[in-house]
Amino acid sequence: MDSRLIDLLACPVSKAPVFFAESRQLIVCPTSKLAYPIKDGIPAMLPEDAIKLEDNDPVLKR
Amino acid sequence: MSSDPRDVFGLDRRAVARAFDRASASYDAAAALQERVRDELLGRLEELQIQPRAVLDLGAGTGHATRELKRRYSQSLTVAVDIAPGMLERARAQSRWLRRFERVRADAYALPFRDQSFDLVFSSLMLQWCDDLDAVFAEISRVLTPGGLLLFSTFGPGTLGELREAWSVSDARMSGVSDARMNSVSDARTRSVSDARISIANDVAITHAGNHVNHFFDPHALGMALMHAGFAEPVLDVDRIVMQYPDALTLMRELKAIGAHNVTRGRPRGLTGRARLAAMTQAYETQRRDGLLPATYEVIHATSWGGPKRTEEHEFPRETVISPSAIKRRGQP
Repeated sequence: MDSRLIDLLACPVSKAPVFFAESRQLIVCPTSKLAYPIKDGIPAMLPEDAIKLEDNDPVLKR
Repeated sequence: MSSDPRDVFGLDRRAVARAFDRASASYDAAAALQERVRDELLGRLEELQIQPRAVLDLGAGTGHATRELKRRYSQSLTVAVDIAPGMLERARAQSRWLRRFERVRADAYALPFRDQSFDLVFSSLMLQWCDDLDAVFAEISRVLTPGGLLLFSTFGPGTLGELREAWSVSDARMSGVSDARMNSVSDARTRSVSDARISIANDVAITHAGNHVNHFFDPHALGMALMHAGFAEPVLDVDRIVMQYPDALTLMRELKAIGAHNVTRGRPRGLTGRARLAAMTQAYETQRRDGLLPATYEVIHATSWGGPKRTEEHEFPRETVISPSAIKRRGQP
């Protein structure tokens, strides 16, 4: 994924910056604690498809 | 009226079979319309001397316009956004080595981008899927840079006049027949439209079209919504495109692909619905010319510029922002 895209991406819910957790193939928003899956190389940035992360989920520690 | 449910089933199957029979022709017509609108919109970029760093194709579909945008602005980061995963999967074929664009699945109502990310937002035939213009323009305004360009096309209220006319003939013919579902239409796509202005525009369109054909925003409503969202200098114009179809069912099937159908949930169903459909089809037949049925699409093209970003506590009309003291200082040595 183009790093320039990651720099533009935001959480569709919080609009806060996100990061790419490569190991889990997730786009992670630490602010809303939501994670968005990458399906077939395409980030699926839909609020209804977001995975709610537990506060202590290790993926939140980038 | 037959009470044998198999008759109902049989009628449906024949309609489906006919529709599938015409599927390729239907797809071609939809693709031709989309291509024509897309090319017109892309052509308008020729006249504008812009060098965007980041380009968003909103409602990119299979990425035909995205590819062209990337070709024109080869140094830009170009992003194809669509809500349909199948469309984006097919868009991969348009993304070439050295002409690569990014693909993101997202909803225009909740864009997953930081504020002021793009200096060009391009959107061809996507807005007709959106009922809440304020919400979608607010999102586009948010991700657009001040001075950035929004270029879009959508359907206007004159779209599918022939079909509306055929439905009104059918409704007049069937007016004695009650169908409770006609009155309990609820379009799940419809968001709460907060702006009374737009509600009025909608109501007028609904009154004319019944619930058979989508209501589309007129240029005035679009322009007002753009201004309301903080866009500057909206310029809108209207283009009429007549497409031809072998029959009304092919047309209606195609409308689903381009967001111009009435969202089937709102369409009357059951036996009454089928009788109405038959009456509509019959009425539409009177417009057949040279063996084909015409359908007019009114396409609205718009350009608008990202305005200065206003903060909550600074929401004054722009002409009152300059204070008299500031003017006085300029005149002093």
